[in-house]
Amino acid sequence: MNYVIAGYSIVLSILFLYGVQLLWRRRRLTRAAARVAAYQAEHGTGVSPQ
Amino acid sequence: MWRDTVLVAGKDLRIEARSRVALSQVAPFGVVALAMFAFALGPDRAPMAHGAPGLFWVAVLFCTVLAVQRSVSVEAVDGARDGLRLSGLDPAGLFLGKAAAVAAQLVVLELVLTVGVILLYGARIETPWLILASSVLGTIGLAATGTLYGALSAGLRVKETLLPFLFLPIAAPVLLAGTRIWQAALSGGIPADAGPWLRLLVVFDAVYLALGVVVYGPIQESA
Amino acid sequence: MTTLTTRTSSPTPDVSTLPLQSSRARWTVRIIGISAAVGVALTVWLGLWVTPPDVSQGNTVPGNLVRLVYIHPGVAWVALYLAFGLAAVASLLYLWPRTRSMFWDRLAAAAVEVGVVFNVCTLISGSIWGRPTWGVYWAWDARLTLTAILLVLFLGYMALRRIPAEPEKRAKRSAFVCLFAAVDIPVDHFSVLWWKTLHQGATVLNPDLSPTIHGSMAWTLLISFVALTLVFVWMLLVRYRIGVLGDWLDGNELDVALRERQSEGVAADTGGAR
Repeated sequence: MNYVIAGYSIVLSILFLYGVQLLWRRRRLTRAAARVAAYQAEHGTGVSPQ
Repeated sequence: MWRDTVLVAGKDLRIEARSRVALSQVAPFGVVALAMFAFALGPDRAPMAHGAPGLFWVAVLFCTVLAVQRSVSVEAVDGARDGLRLSGLDPAGLFLGKAAAVAAQLVVLELVLTVGVILLYGARIETPWLILASSVLGTIGLAATGTLYGALSAGLRVKETLLPFLFLPIAAPVLLAGTRIWQAALSGGIPADAGPWLRLLVVFDAVYLALGVVVYGPIQESA
Repeated sequence: MTTLTTRTSSPTPDVSTLPLQSSRARWTVRIIGISAAVGVALTVWLGLWVTPPDVSQGNTVPGNLVRLVYIHPGVAWVALYLAFGLAAVASLLYLWPRTRSMFWDRLAAAAVEVGVVFNVCTLISGSIWGRPTWGVYWAWDARLTLTAILLVLFLGYMALRRIPAEPEKRAKRSAFVCLFAAVDIPVDHFSVLWWKTLHQGATVLNPDLSPTIHGSMAWTLLISFVALTLVFVWMLLVRYRIGVLGDWLDGNELDVALRERQSEGVAADTGGAR
């Protein structure tokens, strides 16, 4: 039974931790995008270096 | 397509004949690799003889990486790759030609390594035609996948480190099949065991040759 | 003197190109996530308590090992067939000129990353099951080896994507690598049929299509597959969103940085001229 518990715990932990990591990345990127979008709303978009 | 194949294969092999890189550098590297394995496995010959099939194919795989890198680098100079793209050569023919050239070099290398394995590890071959079959089929598979991955990594600055990392896992089925077939062909092995592995090699070769013929053109365009 | 051209300081600011997510999309993802969590909890409860141990072996260590069937085949199915299969199809659709779209590229990238995580779970759960069953944590038989090879192949895919490149070139290259790697999926699937392997044959998708599992165990197995599939879908959607945001930021952060740099230069000029 120990093997079973180990199996369930390890797999579910991996999935849980990865899920948390995804949520964290999404939040970080959403905030960064919001900042950039706010800046662009103020100053306009479209610098063309070409 | 076949005319371009012969054209490109001839070009690559002529370059090889003149520069002799495969003969003077890759082959000795293969033999040195075999010697390194011998040192690593210890003075007792038994584990070496037992491991000879695997060690042979690992050495072949390493030599393939070098041969493919060489095949890619002959066109890296002076915009030769762009030249090939503009030359109007059928990309399928280009693929088959380069793969054929790599395969030809690999066959010679495998000959050298086979002799090396027999001499250095004391491997005794019972069923030579199986060895031949595994070499032919395995070489085709390695050359096809190697050429494909060489083209994929051609434009990248990190291609020297990326190519082995991408290529070796793809080539792993050849390693597996080749090793099993060799084990069946050595004394103490059962030749009949090799059947399913030979079939795997045939399927592997067919799939990657077909893929290569179809996608080599698009790969060239995006490199 | 800068030669950058800008469209600046118009009375009405330019419309931002930020990819907004509709609240309906956000709620869909949330609901899928909640369903997934519920499904997993249900699977755990059924798997560990409600279902019986193996009929022939009773409430012993080997008898209870069968409970791992509610985890291992599920994650394997998600990793190999759902995730990597989807990535392969998406790569194909990206390469096909008529359906080419960055959507397929981002979908493939998301599917591969989630697939790799499930692949790791497959290998670990299989290894844990293997120790008491075969006596070893690992064996180099065809199925195990091919599953490990698939992991390395798709790690290579992820490594390839990290190389800085134009999005279209990166997408094309990744798509090819994904297709080449996906060739090994059917080989892995049939490996238990073609070779004498340590790993048992397929329980449900075997050639006779007659499942060898019955009763509450069969139901729980089905529920486990559904639950893990929901987990995959949720992860895929979140990871896809991350890809969209990341690509947008890559395109726009540079703009912002350039403009800030430029405005520094202008301020310094006017400051100096004064």
